[in-house]
Amino acid sequence: MKKLIAALALIATPLSAQDFSEGSNARSWNLYAEVPATFEATVVDLLCTVAGDCANECGTGRQLGLLRSADDVLVYPNKNRQTSFNGAAYDLHPYCGKLVDVDGLMIEDEDIPGATNIYLVQSIKEAGAEEWAKTNQWTKVWASLHPEAKGKGPWFRRDPRVNAFIEADGYLGLGLSHREAYEITR
Amino acid sequence: MIFRSALAAWVAAIGFAAPAQAAEGERVQITGEIIDTWCYFSGVMGFTDSVTGSAHHTCALWCSAGGIPVGLLGEDGEVYMVLKIEGDDQSASGDTQLKLASHEIVADGMLYKRDGLNYLVVEAVVEDRGITNLNHEDFGVVPPFAIPNPDK
Repeated sequence: MKKLIAALALIATPLSAQDFSEGSNARSWNLYAEVPATFEATVVDLLCTVAGDCANECGTGRQLGLLRSADDVLVYPNKNRQTSFNGAAYDLHPYCGKLVDVDGLMIEDEDIPGATNIYLVQSIKEAGAEEWAKTNQWTKVWASLHPEAKGKGPWFRRDPRVNAFIEADGYLGLGLSHREAYEITR
Repeated sequence: MIFRSALAAWVAAIGFAAPAQAAEGERVQITGEIIDTWCYFSGVMGFTDSVTGSAHHTCALWCSAGGIPVGLLGEDGEVYMVLKIEGDDQSASGDTQLKLASHEIVADGMLYKRDGLNYLVVEAVVEDRGITNLNHEDFGVVPPFAIPNPDK
């Protein structure tokens, strides 16, 4: 009986305490609360899974989540592996509804409300596949959507929508000119 | 029999083998600021107070346009991950959320909670107060390169 209780206690270990770092090849971003994490999950449409809003399930432009196989925890991939302000939805979209393996960094910061099960996904593959894909698709998709913005410099300096807001409201969003905003923040 | 009952109660109490439950929504009205959640949660640009408001407005535009999830930072200090605004389900780089970057709003909608995160479906932006957090006075601009030198 002692063995049965011990086994049940082991299985019933709080889910948040599970360690998914074994086997991870994630590259550190030197973030305070990052933890390497690789796991199997199903890519899900968040609106559908959380709120039952499934009319446009897996549609382009909707945020996607990772429903972890080991514990049914819903992980929110906020970020892909690129370093220029890119989310993960474009990289996850081809896998929506599929079982995948992912590798990346989990953010678990007890000092920030809500900073739990937040994920930076660096690599993804269909479960059981050999080859990993790097999550670097965002800028390629953006370039295909904005051929008129082709040019030098990072995408975020050339994005037509962002530039329209900066043109209208300034860099601080307060209506200051470029020079005024620059000088007031030095 | 007593042992079985006790074991069953213990198992139920810790949630072992409990099936996944769909989150139930709750009608809420939340006042807060539309923020860029990655910078807020990860600390990649600095501590939380500096990655909100006017100081972080340009970066908030970049992140929202870049498909990073936006959240509503409530007056209670909680972050509500925004999945839909007034019928617009484009929560990854959508127009509706982009125009609200750094704005203080009053949002009416449905709140769902799952695995430590708050998810918000905004049915109506009751009030848009614009940018009210003028924290550039304290932090300058975050990140510093957000405003290019006008003389270069």
